[in-house]
Amino acid sequence: MPLFDSDFLKKLEYLSLVSRRVFRGSLLAQRRTMQLGGGIEFADHREYTPGDDFRYLDWNVYARHDELLLKRFQEEEDLHVYFLLDCSRSMQFGTLPKFDFARRVTAALAYIALADLDRVAIVAFAGDIVADFPLTRGKARILSLMKFLEALPAQGSQTDLSRVVTGFVHRTQRRGLAIVVSDLYDPGGYERGLDLLRHHRYEPHVVQIYDRREAEPNLLGDLELFDVETENVRKVTVTERNLRQYRQIFDRFQESIRTYCNTYGLGCTRTSTEIPFDALILKMMRSAGAVK
Amino acid sequence: MNLANPAALVWAGLAIPIVIFYILKIRQRRVPVSTTLFWRQIFEEKQPRSLWEYLRHLLSLFVQLALLGLLIFALTEPFFRSEVLESRRVVLVVDNSASMNATDGAPTRLALAKREGERIIEGLRFRDEMAIISAGTEPQVHCGLTGHQRSLRAALEAIAPSDGPTKVKEAVDLARRLLADTKNRKIVLLTDGGFPDAATLVKADDVDAISVGKKTGNVGITRFQVRRSLIDPIGYEVLAEVANMSDDPVECRLELDLDGDVVDVVPLKLEAEGKLSRVFEKTSAAGGRLSARLSRPDALLADNQAWALLPRRDVRPVTLVTDGDLFLEKVYQAIPLVKLSVVREPVASPSAFLTVLHRKVPARLPNGPVMVIDPGGACDLWDVGEKLQNPIVTKQDKDSPLMAHVRLDNVMMPEARQLKPKGKAHVLATALSGDPLLCAFERPEGKVLVLTVDLDKSDLPLQTTFPILVTNAMSWFSGSQGELREALATGAVTEVELAARPAPEKKAATSSEALSTPARSLLILRSPDGKTRPLPSGLAKVTIGPLDQCGVWSIVRAGAKAGSKTEPAPEVEIACNLANRAESDLRLPDGLEWKSTSVAAGYGGRPIWFYLLAAAWGLAGLEWYLYQRRWIS
Repeated sequence: MPLFDSDFLKKLEYLSLVSRRVFRGSLLAQRRTMQLGGGIEFADHREYTPGDDFRYLDWNVYARHDELLLKRFQEEEDLHVYFLLDCSRSMQFGTLPKFDFARRVTAALAYIALADLDRVAIVAFAGDIVADFPLTRGKARILSLMKFLEALPAQGSQTDLSRVVTGFVHRTQRRGLAIVVSDLYDPGGYERGLDLLRHHRYEPHVVQIYDRREAEPNLLGDLELFDVETENVRKVTVTERNLRQYRQIFDRFQESIRTYCNTYGLGCTRTSTEIPFDALILKMMRSAGAVK
Repeated sequence: MNLANPAALVWAGLAIPIVIFYILKIRQRRVPVSTTLFWRQIFEEKQPRSLWEYLRHLLSLFVQLALLGLLIFALTEPFFRSEVLESRRVVLVVDNSASMNATDGAPTRLALAKREGERIIEGLRFRDEMAIISAGTEPQVHCGLTGHQRSLRAALEAIAPSDGPTKVKEAVDLARRLLADTKNRKIVLLTDGGFPDAATLVKADDVDAISVGKKTGNVGITRFQVRRSLIDPIGYEVLAEVANMSDDPVECRLELDLDGDVVDVVPLKLEAEGKLSRVFEKTSAAGGRLSARLSRPDALLADNQAWALLPRRDVRPVTLVTDGDLFLEKVYQAIPLVKLSVVREPVASPSAFLTVLHRKVPARLPNGPVMVIDPGGACDLWDVGEKLQNPIVTKQDKDSPLMAHVRLDNVMMPEARQLKPKGKAHVLATALSGDPLLCAFERPEGKVLVLTVDLDKSDLPLQTTFPILVTNAMSWFSGSQGELREALATGAVTEVELAARPAPEKKAATSSEALSTPARSLLILRSPDGKTRPLPSGLAKVTIGPLDQCGVWSIVRAGAKAGSKTEPAPEVEIACNLANRAESDLRLPDGLEWKSTSVAAGYGGRPIWFYLLAAAWGLAGLEWYLYQRRWIS
């Protein structure tokens, strides 16, 4: 079954419409980068100096305060949206592989951004950056983007977000929205990578994806646990008590993500692969609209 | 402790694969997971911190080795030396006499004794052995010495109740012979004590007597006999004795009936320990089964009824061959049940029961019983000689039934015929000259009695001895037919004379067939409850007994079905009654040292391997429980 079928594309268009009409193009409550320039939106005043254009004098201010001040206008910059997509082997886990879900979510968000004339780039990573889709603009690029996503393998080795982000932030590129689409199963911890993004004035948004079997594993007895990412094998005897402990630990992990994001004001979306991707996108939009 | 099967220790080698499997562990199912981050937090925190944590990993191995050890030990069949040294041999003697059928136990004393016997069987230890002997009517070994409890129970159950007398002493003697030189031997006696020398037997060191039953009163028929009347030929006298063996007076009725027809009903009032003995005079020519019944039901039914047999008295046709002798005619006419016909010449094949020849003797005597008086000539059995003048009787056979109440020595006999027997003759009265005056012959065609006295000249016909002699002769010619057979007590052994059948007259196809036609065919003895047992064939007399049931026993031809319309009359019938005061007295004798329990059980009556297997079973259950709870891995 193709990853991006006609049904997916229809949903994409729908989501794009919803984004423009309902949420006025504000995706994920991003802050638009502002520059002073030749836009039409008033931004600031400055003193008149001989030679300035009289058309931009603020006559109301002169009438009230007998001061000659020039109006300065905003010039909006297009948003740069960077998708950091986890391509480690752990993303292949699940009845519906998390990687497929992640790519659909990435494609959908990218399409909304492209439709809104924002620029989109995709960085695929695992232990390091494994593939790049360069910054691009325009709805017509969606097909190339989807081809790129389709061709991505989830064969990466152990996830190392910190290392990936280090390489990412040192690129010469404009700051923007950094959407991390991953399960965040980083042995070194996901916090360091997100901290780096923040420190380098990117605006991180976390989309954490998990499978129901990861949250509530159905394992009992004498087992060999095979870590698909590290390829380590561990022989254990799982009891009911162990399962309860696991669920507690996983819930704590989820809670830690939420707490971290709340603490630093990061956008956070935690989802299971059971939820359809379009429902997830709409939920994300609602959350962003409610915050706004 | 010793081992009966030490070779089973070789199974201890199974411990090696158990240890190997434990070390190798079973190949576990491989499950892929996206990450072991969370699992590591669980299992790396569970490192054993205490000795108990370490031991838990080895606990399963220890438990399995212990289980194997118990099973192997059970296979070796361990036993204590004391079990062999102190193994017991027990003989269980069960009294199944008539008194044990009393219903003061539930349902009978014998049933109570069997239940007690089963309890004793269950109490046997592993190497103990037991035999079972019954002590009623005749001691009988039902099971030889064995430790197999199921066989013992089956043998105990198979002991049938009987109406016979108690033979406890004989049974205990048999038990002692069975145990002979055994150490640790014991005889356990289950009885109600109604036998002679009970006090002595109960005190014996090797006997544990356990009483069964309660002190119960009983009324029973202790005697019931019939005999011929001395006065009336068709009359009989019935002797009946009823005893009250209780501490209270009783009232009841004694009912007599003959073949179901009531003959008499006698009301009885008996004091405590009282007894009533009465003689009833009745007459009957037809005969039949005479039975006496008490109307009062009590704990023992066997002595509430008694039987006696009255044989039929048939009219006997007698042919008198004479030219005319009034005395002879009258003497035969005077005998009841005799139908006399007088002829002048003897008949070659007479149809009468008896032919009496007065002086007229053919060369060959006719078939059937013959009495010859004053033989006029010789025949096939004797020759005649000169006439004897005034013969004096010097010798008489007083033991012969023919000579009962007969005296010839005081009879005037002026003349008699000299008789010279040709073959074997039984001389009953001899003259001084040695010539027989009265002698009897046995021949296949029939008995012959000869009186050589000339009645015309003698006063014998005028003496009372003459009709007595003639009556004796009639009885003698009748044989056992018409004789009364006394009723026997249970437990009796008796000899029965079987009547010879005449050889068949039809011509045989071959001579061998004629020779092979038996005079007596197969006979069976039928008990009152209908059970049959074969008797030896080809005998004139047969011994039967001991009779163990009250009622009428019968000897019939094989193939005859009881109760069928074509069933021939039994050859012989014998009445059998309890008629035993000791058995009828159901009160337990006082002063006897009864044991309440006997043959204490050890180890629950089971071998040690049984308990080892039970322990192994329990350990397996415990190991399963601990494994399910993940206490052991």
